[in-house]
Amino acid sequence: MRNKVLEIKNLKIRYVTDDGIVEAVNGIDMLIEKGRTLGLVGETGAGKTTTAMSILRLIPDPPGEIISGDIILDNIKLLEISENEMETIRGRLVSMIFQDPMTALNPSICVGEQISEAISIHQDVTKEGAKEKAREMLEIVGIPGSRMEEYPHQFSGGMKQRVIIAIALSCSPKLLIADEPTTALDVTIQAQVLELMKELKEKLEMSMLMITHDLGVVAEVCDDVAIMYAGRIVEQGNLEEIFKYTKHPYTEGLFNSIPNIDDRKAELIPIRGLMSDPYNLPDGCSFCDRCDYALDICQTEKPKKIYFSGTHFSECHLYSGNSDFQLNCGKK
Amino acid sequence: MNADVLEIKTEQLLKTKKRSQLFDVWLRLKKSKAAIAGLLLIGIFIFMAILAPVLVSYEDDALKMNVRVRLQTPGSDHWFGTDELGRDIFARIVYGTRISLFVGIISVSIALTLGGTLGAIAGYYGGKIDNIIMRFLDVLLAVPAVLLAITIVAALGASMLNLMIAVGVSNIPGFARVVRAAVLSVKDQEFIEAAKAIGAKDHTIILRHVLPNSMAPIIVFATLKVATAIMATASLSFLGLGIQPPTPEWGSMLAGGRSYIRDHMYIVLYPGMAIVLTVLSLNLIGDGLRDALDPKLK
Repeated sequence: MRNKVLEIKNLKIRYVTDDGIVEAVNGIDMLIEKGRTLGLVGETGAGKTTTAMSILRLIPDPPGEIISGDIILDNIKLLEISENEMETIRGRLVSMIFQDPMTALNPSICVGEQISEAISIHQDVTKEGAKEKAREMLEIVGIPGSRMEEYPHQFSGGMKQRVIIAIALSCSPKLLIADEPTTALDVTIQAQVLELMKELKEKLEMSMLMITHDLGVVAEVCDDVAIMYAGRIVEQGNLEEIFKYTKHPYTEGLFNSIPNIDDRKAELIPIRGLMSDPYNLPDGCSFCDRCDYALDICQTEKPKKIYFSGTHFSECHLYSGNSDFQLNCGKK
Repeated sequence: MNADVLEIKTEQLLKTKKRSQLFDVWLRLKKSKAAIAGLLLIGIFIFMAILAPVLVSYEDDALKMNVRVRLQTPGSDHWFGTDELGRDIFARIVYGTRISLFVGIISVSIALTLGGTLGAIAGYYGGKIDNIIMRFLDVLLAVPAVLLAITIVAALGASMLNLMIAVGVSNIPGFARVVRAAVLSVKDQEFIEAAKAIGAKDHTIILRHVLPNSMAPIIVFATLKVATAIMATASLSFLGLGIQPPTPEWGSMLAGGRSYIRDHMYIVLYPGMAIVLTVLSLNLIGDGLRDALDPKLK
């Protein structure tokens, strides 16, 4: 048995608002082993960020509430410990990289101080020691230590994201959550930042949860992939299984929506329709209204997990009686 | 060798950059002629307050009654004339500056500390705590500030300390509201969430991340409130509830001279002008600061 860093079991989260109840996460399971990177992919509103925030226990309550489930990080049951204990875990065992580097840094404190703050919260060091470590971290992410005293507005977007990575990694966490870390950056900087993250992940032997809606990013950095739709993981497997042996119609739809570099004139095939209303999820499969393969049973019954290998599963009725079913894979 | 030169250059560059934030504000403030006029005026008053013992003698000029020279018109002996008891009005105004500025600043500090703390807590935690604190302050706000101050002084007795407490307390709701609004605008930004995600505690987040980023409206409000506090001090003293005679205070000078206003209007003219000019200069500075601290208004 390999070393489990993060295990999520049957997690359910909902937001109770005046307009109704939003079922954001509807019973997901997740497992990240030491040194592995899991990519969590899905469209806006699928519940990716909610899942990530629940690991840090930073879901705003109210309106958010975790109804059931277990989150086990490094053998600690996160949902059972006190807020004070949680504070010692945030940043030390798990830390997070945010989507928008422009707003994730405090504009009134110089970057060196922001890095050393994270260090002095969790490590027993003097002010000087924290500063020294902060300088080290800054150099690790490729920024000269002499820029310690500068303020966030003096850095470019890519540099800011590097600073944020430095903050996140300053206490060598076991798990790094990256919530669309490259969405706000342009493509060349994206590649640099991803490369840096990959490199540091290996150096510090951490695991990573990479949230993104960019399958290109997934192919670049992830070992395993989980496809999320309307609060459920509809397909999960390792990189090869997902990319080569796509099983779920939604995953297929995502792949069809990517431009093909070999055939630039090829038309994109978008997934028709919109994601089902999270206030009012259907009884059956939440994807069935948009699915080209939908069967009658899809309207009425929730699909169960069907395993194709030890790691690869999909939640879809297409395979329940007929395990040899093949998707069209873009050929219409 | 080359590396050394480079190092020195970066050092210099860093120094100029580091100063720039405050420096920028000063550059923008300098553009406003009104703000500069206000700064000059208040500078003169502060100068007078500090150098009061050098300019005039407290015992001989400001306090000692001398009936032989009572009600003298302004002239070379007494620049601003003398009052009904023969005291030099200029000397009394100079010493009055000390009291007005001191009371104004201290009472605003009281209001800022208490009101700011309440406002920051209410804004940051929200929900029930917010509701309790703000409704309580709404009650306080429903009573007119001067009336509240009069009540407090009447209950505690008239003295300089009680005056400062009274003016300070009556300003608490205003400060709480401004600080709460400023905190609200900052607390949902991503860097606050990021601070939580590295495990920072609430008080660290409020003191290090929220407040420094909501300083601009608070500084402006505090400047304007010093002016109001000076007015409130003068009003209370005018009513006999503040600084007690014979201590020279602008408001009580007005009160003492008001029965002579028909024949000797300079007795009330100069203290009145002192009040108007201080308040005006502080308001000009406040307005200038508001523009200088908010680059979007340029």
